[in-house]
Amino acid sequence: MELEELKELIELLKETDVTELQIEKEGTKVKIKREKILSHLEMAGHERAAFQEKIVAETEEEAQRLITITSPIVGTFYRSPTPEAPPFVEIGAKVVKGQVLCIVEAMKLMNEIESDIDGIVMKILVENGQPVEYGEPLFLIEPA
Amino acid sequence: MNIEAIKEKIRGDIGREILFFKEVSSTNTIASHLAETTAEGAVVLAESQEKGRGRLGRVWISPPGVNIHMSVLLRPKIKQRDATLLTIMSAVACANAVRRITGLDISIKWPNDLMASHRKLGGILTEIRTDAGKIPVAIIGIGLNVNIGLDAFPEDVRKIATSLKNETGRSYSREEIIAGILNEINRWYAHLNTSGGEMLLPEWKRLSSTIGKYVKVTAGDETFSGFAESIDSEGRLLLRLPSGELKRVSAGDLTVLR
Repeated sequence: MELEELKELIELLKETDVTELQIEKEGTKVKIKREKILSHLEMAGHERAAFQEKIVAETEEEAQRLITITSPIVGTFYRSPTPEAPPFVEIGAKVVKGQVLCIVEAMKLMNEIESDIDGIVMKILVENGQPVEYGEPLFLIEPA
Repeated sequence: MNIEAIKEKIRGDIGREILFFKEVSSTNTIASHLAETTAEGAVVLAESQEKGRGRLGRVWISPPGVNIHMSVLLRPKIKQRDATLLTIMSAVACANAVRRITGLDISIKWPNDLMASHRKLGGILTEIRTDAGKIPVAIIGIGLNVNIGLDAFPEDVRKIATSLKNETGRSYSREEIIAGILNEINRWYAHLNTSGGEMLLPEWKRLSSTIGKYVKVTAGDETFSGFAESIDSEGRLLLRLPSGELKRVSAGDLTVLR
């Protein structure tokens, strides 16, 4: 079978609802299979709405479950008390309410940022030594 | 160190209680441990300090018996968003006290380095705890080179550090300087609690050797130069960049370009 012939067959299939075609010709067996992928955009209106609702619900559920610790000031984010010292917390660490998670420094004022709750550190959102803005999320904590 | 000699000179609430230690890791660490159970105005004082630290844990060389290492415990009435005014307050208090006692032209390098003839005389590091927008605990850690000889410093430090003795050639009573600083803190802390930065910011500007100069600031992996125009209501440096943009600087190491 010629390449051109094969191309023609594929083009032909595209215009139809046929998803699978098997041809035997001159001892050659060709099987063309089109898999219809149901993309997000191709979904029917009601399907799309339900799908989006599910995504939003999942995101909201996660957001509600996790507590965000934000920076109370503009400054520099430090994960440890001194450069040589180990970080206050790592991902997966169990923390208790009032435990120091990091320091945000502004004008030689070391602002100890404490956990609002008992829980587990799920995410550390800022790199050590980086500037942070007022209200910028620093940690995500999963309540115990 | 004669604690009674200090207490005799104390005029206000700050310094009424002095906790004296012969040797500590750092006075701020001790004060931090005692913060929950100790009254406002208490002072942790040490003859020597094993781990005196500046910002980013930089080591401060201070043998026993010659310098001042102390921390003052405060419970400020200001809001958390004004916390950086504590840095302004402590710098103003220390500079005024040392000026009055020594007659030296002490200046403040932004934000709170105490300078004598362009070299560092002392530093202040403040640690705060916050709760619901308030500041239940503030610890002002003060380190001041008093009677240390320049020969005690390593070669590279001699160009950038100094002591009172090195500046005037005479020794000072540390007790007198400690009491002087605590009395000045008492005064300026009262201003901070009643009127925020209203009295403090103009006083800081008067004592500053940074404003009106071309400076270089290094913050993290970023360095920028510009003209130090002023400070804002929180004490942040207002830096005019070559592009004309006005940058508010809240953290970084500053060098005055001369």
